[in-house]
Amino acid sequence: MLRTSLLEIPTSIIISFLLGFVLLLSLGYDPVNIYKIIIFGSIGDPDYLLIRSTPLVLTGLAFSIPFLTGTFNIGGEGQFYIGALLSLLAAYTTKSSLMAIAVGTMAGGVLGALIAIIKVYRGINEVVSSIMLNWILYFSILFSITTFLYDPLIPYQSVPVPLDARLGCIQILGERVPLIFLIAVCVAFISYYILYYSRIGYCMRVSGLSPKSARYAGFSPELSVITSMVLGGAMGGLGGSLLVIGHTYTIDTTMSALYGMGFAGIGVGLLGRNNPIGIIFSSIFFSMLVIGGEMAELRAGIPTELADALIGIMVIALSMPYIYRIVYTYIRSRK
Amino acid sequence: MSFVELRDIVKVYPDGVVALRGVSMEISEGEIHGLLGENGAGKTTLMRILYGEIRPTRGEVFISGRKVSFRGPWDAIKNGISMVYQKFTLVPTFTVLENLYLPLALMEKGTSIDDVRKRAERLLDELNLRVPIDSFVEELPVGVQQRVEILRALLLKSKILILDEPTSVLTPIETKELFRMLKELKKAGITVIFITHKLKEVRELADRITVLRKGMKVGTVNAAEVTESDLARMMVGHEIAVVQRPSPSIGEKILEIRDLWVKDDRGIDAVKGVSLELYEGEILGIAGVQGNGQLELAEAIAGMRRIERGAIFLNGREITNLPARLRYRYGLAYIPDSRSVGLVAEMNLTENSVLTSLSEFIRKGRIKWSNAVRRTSEIVDRFNVVTPSLRVAVRYLSGGNQQRLLVGREITKEPRVLIIAEPTHGLDVAATDFIRKILLDFRDKGKAILLISTDLDEIFQLSDRIAVMYEGRIVGIGRNEEFSPEKIGLLMGGVHAQDISS
Amino acid sequence: MIEDVLGLLSSTLVAMVPLLLASVGEIIAERSGVVNIGLEGIFVLSAFLSALTAFYTRDPYVALAVGLLVGFLSGVLHGVISVYLRGDQIISGVGFNMFAYGISIIGLICTWGQHGASPIVAKMPFIGGGFLFFSPLLILSIIIAIVVWYWLFRTSSGLKLRACGEDPRSAEAMGVNVLRTRFYATLIGAMLTGLGGAYMVVGWIGQFTRYISAGRGFIALAIVAFSGWNPIIAIAGSMIFGFFDALSLYLPVKIQLIYPRMNLTSTSYVFRTVPYIAVLITVSVAFRKGRMPRDLGRPYIKE
Repeated sequence: MLRTSLLEIPTSIIISFLLGFVLLLSLGYDPVNIYKIIIFGSIGDPDYLLIRSTPLVLTGLAFSIPFLTGTFNIGGEGQFYIGALLSLLAAYTTKSSLMAIAVGTMAGGVLGALIAIIKVYRGINEVVSSIMLNWILYFSILFSITTFLYDPLIPYQSVPVPLDARLGCIQILGERVPLIFLIAVCVAFISYYILYYSRIGYCMRVSGLSPKSARYAGFSPELSVITSMVLGGAMGGLGGSLLVIGHTYTIDTTMSALYGMGFAGIGVGLLGRNNPIGIIFSSIFFSMLVIGGEMAELRAGIPTELADALIGIMVIALSMPYIYRIVYTYIRSRK
Repeated sequence: MSFVELRDIVKVYPDGVVALRGVSMEISEGEIHGLLGENGAGKTTLMRILYGEIRPTRGEVFISGRKVSFRGPWDAIKNGISMVYQKFTLVPTFTVLENLYLPLALMEKGTSIDDVRKRAERLLDELNLRVPIDSFVEELPVGVQQRVEILRALLLKSKILILDEPTSVLTPIETKELFRMLKELKKAGITVIFITHKLKEVRELADRITVLRKGMKVGTVNAAEVTESDLARMMVGHEIAVVQRPSPSIGEKILEIRDLWVKDDRGIDAVKGVSLELYEGEILGIAGVQGNGQLELAEAIAGMRRIERGAIFLNGREITNLPARLRYRYGLAYIPDSRSVGLVAEMNLTENSVLTSLSEFIRKGRIKWSNAVRRTSEIVDRFNVVTPSLRVAVRYLSGGNQQRLLVGREITKEPRVLIIAEPTHGLDVAATDFIRKILLDFRDKGKAILLISTDLDEIFQLSDRIAVMYEGRIVGIGRNEEFSPEKIGLLMGGVHAQDISS
Repeated sequence: MIEDVLGLLSSTLVAMVPLLLASVGEIIAERSGVVNIGLEGIFVLSAFLSALTAFYTRDPYVALAVGLLVGFLSGVLHGVISVYLRGDQIISGVGFNMFAYGISIIGLICTWGQHGASPIVAKMPFIGGGFLFFSPLLILSIIIAIVVWYWLFRTSSGLKLRACGEDPRSAEAMGVNVLRTRFYATLIGAMLTGLGGAYMVVGWIGQFTRYISAGRGFIALAIVAFSGWNPIIAIAGSMIFGFFDALSLYLPVKIQLIYPRMNLTSTSYVFRTVPYIAVLITVSVAFRKGRMPRDLGRPYIKE
């Protein structure tokens, strides 16, 4: 299975780049030039790349951890938003980055727990409830930012995170490394540890792969669902929190920096084959695409949404593991 | 000229399993024909070939002298053959009428639902049956659902009705009703083939009986001319290889089951007041045709299924309400009949080897995989599991190797009681011998084994004592020597112990 | 006062059309067992392409046809992936949304050089006038809903389709070609959604904007569940959510007239949450598992 997994990653990337190539050609752009900009655009500024990758690491984990337990966490958006908002509030009131992170993470976890509980006890499909919560939180936060959290001094923004609560870069081996990225990497490693070295992680994985075997072994699949959603939600909340206290230091009134992070996390998770270490890399890859897309807009005039389109194609390509199995067995049988 | 003829049917599955070895059978028009045999005899496979669901590897099917080759059940239906499976093909959330209407509308375009209602009501009248046409199928008792299946077959103008173990889901009263209906149908000219393992019933209902054993036809007899003993003998055969190794010594009572009642997935009682005692150093084999409550019994003892009434004691300690994990810790081990339950197919060998004993491998809050790897290597060596590496996903192992891993995992835990269901199901000869030897060695060390198997050879080979389960009850129990194949056959077929002359 | 009520009513009638079309379409797909999360993407993509068509042809009806075509092609994609390739229906839907959104915005920028909205394009006329008006497509969509209801619940082919969503194994045994039925159901559903997307441009807003869909695809999904997978109730559902939609635009304006100091944009945000809260509550409280097609979302594997 590892072999087919590894086959899927480059295949989906190649498919999306190929289709993107065709698209760019038909719109009258020079694909080679654009791709050059996209791929190499972020090289000049590595710590910026890592800053942008951080939220994606977390929303990737937010999707993948529940996914391994057989649950779809499409609510990453909402968990991200509420983490961002409550972190901002906590930072603003307590001036402590630690409090901000704690509050944001817990908020996300509570949201995840909510979705899991109504799934387990009322049978409500988590996709519908997640998406509704996403939109409720979206508008609620827009409301909060434009009313009581509004910054009268700077238009189009909420009140900023106080300087004391902000997280910047630290020096490692002569390079500037964003603290939030280090936090994200640590969390990814902790997730890996939990998934593969702890009892609860083992129970979650077994429940996701074979609920019958889980019951045989004496595990409770329902408990695994709830646990994984609490963890996943917490990741989402943490992602929003880190974005706000380590990157944007505010929430703008259109929430443009927040919007789509949860969904992109789905792509990050899938491309990273739902493995926390893989997610670190796929999040860097994704944010490379996104930054590259922004550079391409500046230099070649192509809209940043190109990155969205490419990511979308990759996600579609990654939704069909069966096809790779077909191809793989076909190739094997030919030998 | 017979109505239905199957000639020299051979069926070999892609993985090499030979289900039918050249069976020929003919069925006369308007008769009720019983197809008798144990598990694995090939009865269902043969009928599925007739029904067009499976293609035979070799052999031909003739209907009214004309060779037919069905590409699927729908072809068979169009030719007047219907099959009623043990698992019904009714849409549970539709009404009875909708379930009748659907295939009818597909077969005769332009039929209206009112048409179907009228036809159904007329048919029910003729057969003197009551079926609530507008009820949802899932709300109806199983016996009525079965009637719907038969009704549907009749409305589709089927002349041949195949029933697979029809009475396995019925109460005795419903069974009587079914038999009455089938006899009415016979009068109306419908041909009925029914698959069963129940001796009394097949003699009561059938005109002629064909007995299969291990993929071959043993013979066809007239029901009126045979006794149940004859049938049992045909079904089970004489040559039971008694390469048996009696136990060196029997020890203390280790497992006690008292008046156990367990329900199955449908909510019906599957285990009806079973009481058993298991001693150290013995293998107690539970014989019986699949579906008589054995698996539910095993699952209940293992902690996977709720116990409605009764109690279980392990080494004197009551475990009736304990979760599975604790039971394992107290020395119980369970190897389920299905490898997809006992192993997680997508995980590798090492990850699978800790499934039922995770606590053993947790030190200071984390799983010590190095210990797990060591244990896995041990299992792989002792039980000859052939695998390219320990990191391969278990689904890539052959069935035999998977079973070795599964059995090895549980035995290496050195439990005091091992419950094992269908240990050699679907395995080749080498693996089968190997596992049986392992079980005997394990018992010789003073352990207790509760063996559940539908393979009588296996039961006789391994068991010190044998119990026979039929319809949720123990209908016979005794030492291995006290049972002849014929006696077991009778008990498995539902004949009461007192009616058997030893 | 009366003008307000009529105005609100008209806004509702106008707003409910895409919701009704998409939810009826999705009811067809889901009743056969396929869930299409990509409705949002179909809305955006067909809105963009019909705006493009209307811009160049100046004919709104051709634009509607283009909307159908976009729906058709999207349906083919989702159908092939979900039914024949046994892909994960939810993931492919999410991916499609991202892709469709990205492509449409790229199109917007490349065609007209605008980042927010396209120029106004040819529109279909409304019926009625003054304070009470509605689109002819409303009549069409209500008729479609009724026809689909009749088809699903009173004809044999509808029964076939529903069997695929409840118990595909039994359906197959009764002679239904489950894979083909599911594929066609997905196609039809996507086409209706595509029509709804085109309507948003040429029948309602008159231009393609960046946030033209704003989650309406997901509201349609919720309406499907809310209506118990019944097209007639979906009419009521679309009306209710269309009403909330209209209300979220109307109320802030009114409130601002009374309290001039309140911020218009922010109050409207509060009201925008109402449809979603309503869905969440309804679904949590009144959801009965029995109403959902039993096999929804699961790929059918023939033995």
